Amino acid sequence: MKFKCIINGCLSHTRAQAEELNGFISRFLDPEASDGTTIIFYSQKDERKALPGLVPTQRAELVRIDRYHPESILDALARIEYSDDADLYLFPSGFAGSEIAVRWAFRQKGSSLVQVKHIDCTRDRVIAKKTAYVDHVLATFRLDRRPFCLSPARGCVDRLPIRARDNLVVTEHDFTGLNKGIRAHDFHWIPVEHAKHFENPRFLIVGGRGLQNKENVQFLKNMADAVGAEFGISRAVALNAWGPMHRLIGVSGTIAKPEICIAAGVSGAAAFYAGIEKSKFIIAINTDPLARIIKSSDVVVIDDYKTVMAELLKFFTFDGANEA
Amino acid sequence: MRILVCFKAAPDVEMLIDEDWAVDKKLKIDTSFVKNTLNTYDESALEIALNLRDASEALGTNVELSTLTVDGGGATAILKTLYALRFTKAVRIEPQEDLRFRPAATAAIICQYVLHHSPQDAVLLGRQSDIGENAKTSLLVAEMLGWPCISQATHIELADENHLMVTHQVDDGHIRQRIRTPCVFSVGDAPCTSLRVPTLRDRMQYGKKAVDVLSVEDFQLPVETETLTGLEILRHARAGVIIEGKNPAEKARVLYEEHLKPMLSQK
Ligand SMILES: Cc1cc2nc3c(=O)[nH]c(=O)nc-3n(C[C@H](O)[C@H](O)[C@H](O)COP(=O)(O)OP(=O)(O)OC[C@H]3O[C@@H](n4cnc5c(N)ncnc54)[C@H](O)[C@@H]3O)c2cc1C
Repeated sequence: MKFKCIINGCLSHTRAQAEELNGFISRFLDPEASDGTTIIFYSQKDERKALPGLVPTQRAELVRIDRYHPESILDALARIEYSDDADLYLFPSGFAGSEIAVRWAFRQKGSSLVQVKHIDCTRDRVIAKKTAYVDHVLATFRLDRRPFCLSPARGCVDRLPIRARDNLVVTEHDFTGLNKGIRAHDFHWIPVEHAKHFENPRFLIVGGRGLQNKENVQFLKNMADAVGAEFGISRAVALNAWGPMHRLIGVSGTIAKPEICIAAGVSGAAAFYAGIEKSKFIIAINTDPLARIIKSSDVVVIDDYKTVMAELLKFFTFDGANEA
Repeated sequence: MRILVCFKAAPDVEMLIDEDWAVDKKLKIDTSFVKNTLNTYDESALEIALNLRDASEALGTNVELSTLTVDGGGATAILKTLYALRFTKAVRIEPQEDLRFRPAATAAIICQYVLHHSPQDAVLLGRQSDIGENAKTSLLVAEMLGWPCISQATHIELADENHLMVTHQVDDGHIRQRIRTPCVFSVGDAPCTSLRVPTLRDRMQYGKKAVDVLSVEDFQLPVETETLTGLEILRHARAGVIIEGKNPAEKARVLYEEHLKPMLSQK
């Protein structure tokens, strides 16, 4: 089976994409029967040097484009991939990966599936699983048409560091200028700063709509800072703009793997729960004894989150002072 | 500027209890007894479109909003609300087949509607539905129309008659750029975009207009390249041990001493 990994190196998380695809390949593809190439798109000349160290396959194609634009990547791909010999294209789980997977499959008259959790593949068909019914159900699909274009679900595999290869075969392409003119006007890139250990914190505190306003979200964030925990929010909190979107926990945000997670004022909708289900220990604080989160937590406090958290902080402060 | 917003109404599956989750032989799950809700991403798309119309009134440009749903009837109340919010046209296309996992079919209907029934300058739709969760329809609409697509849109403003200023989420940040229409906008996690509520007066005055219903027979549906072959219910039970105590302070003490402290002190 011939497969290609497509990585968007124009933004700032190239290594994370490469390690995710490396994890995916090592989990689902048979190394004896697979022959892989990685295509990395990049825009800054000075980033070129590091790219060979981010290749999870034996061959690499490094493609320079003006800047990240799905259209630029799709058009450049069409120029490189004219021979249609690939059976499988793998894209990372992020926004760019899942978008380009679908659009590339359409242009190649192939089949696509995004947010994929599991695959079983041969040259002629892929059986893949992904969630449906807002994460309550695992659906199995048969993909019938080559090339198969897949993008994994966030957090479905562990990242696997890339091992350096001495005999990496590298081909270079320069497609700068290819899409000159598309939307060149008024273009601003506004990066977000990610917390370093947001995916793998030891201790995570997450606040939901039960926090009721921005001030309470800040209260819980301050408490998380005080006790050395990372702080995340549910989509309801993010949509109300009580907290920033990059702290979103769940299928649409971060899939966290903390040792301990406190979910305060969260109902535990499946799309949220997917973001904390890999926690070793889950503590729910909720006023509603029938909330879905109750049955999917290890221990539960049925009470107002604010009073409980304020009391809890006293114990942390007391122990902290004694240790000092 | 003519803007079409496509939406889906779906049963609110968070209302189902554990026992309700069962898959039948046709790979269906009975959700007939729970109420339908508007998909959250489509809701944002609708409110963003209304904001564009509000701004157009101030800028003296003309924004005309219409809405389309491919739906068996569960969206009727929402369509009436959208009329009350003064969408000029509300269309329902009655499907005859199970389209839960057929995003290409839904996209083809939307595309043919724009090409043959009602030309548009922009199409807005949510990035992912609740039931199929396919996350493909909006992207396929753009591909089928041959229009550019801005995905994960979170904020759109009118620039002039042919341009929109859009902010959209990308991995690790946001991009803000000016886009020439025609364009498809796939709306993502857009803060502060709950759909406004129409006034009672507008409900009475505009909400009673008849919804246009088109038959799916007028549209050509493509063969899907992915076939659903199985559905399996996911269950996530943990112990759910309730911490007892006569007041919040006591519960916090038990939580801290019996659970948090021992776990956090492990190296
Ligand atoms: C395709 C799709 C993807 C999605 N992706 C995500 C995602 O990635 N992340 C995500 O979070 N959501 C996601 N959602 C939304 C998800 O389905 C839920 O709507 C959302 O998680 C609800 O957030 P919440 O639990 O904060 O709010 P609610 O469901 O409103 O729950 C609030 C909870 O707070 C409790 N409460 C109220 N007051 C108090 C108090 N004083 N003390 C303690 N408890 C209190 C209530 O009992 C209730 O249980 C997605 C939805 C869709 C359709």
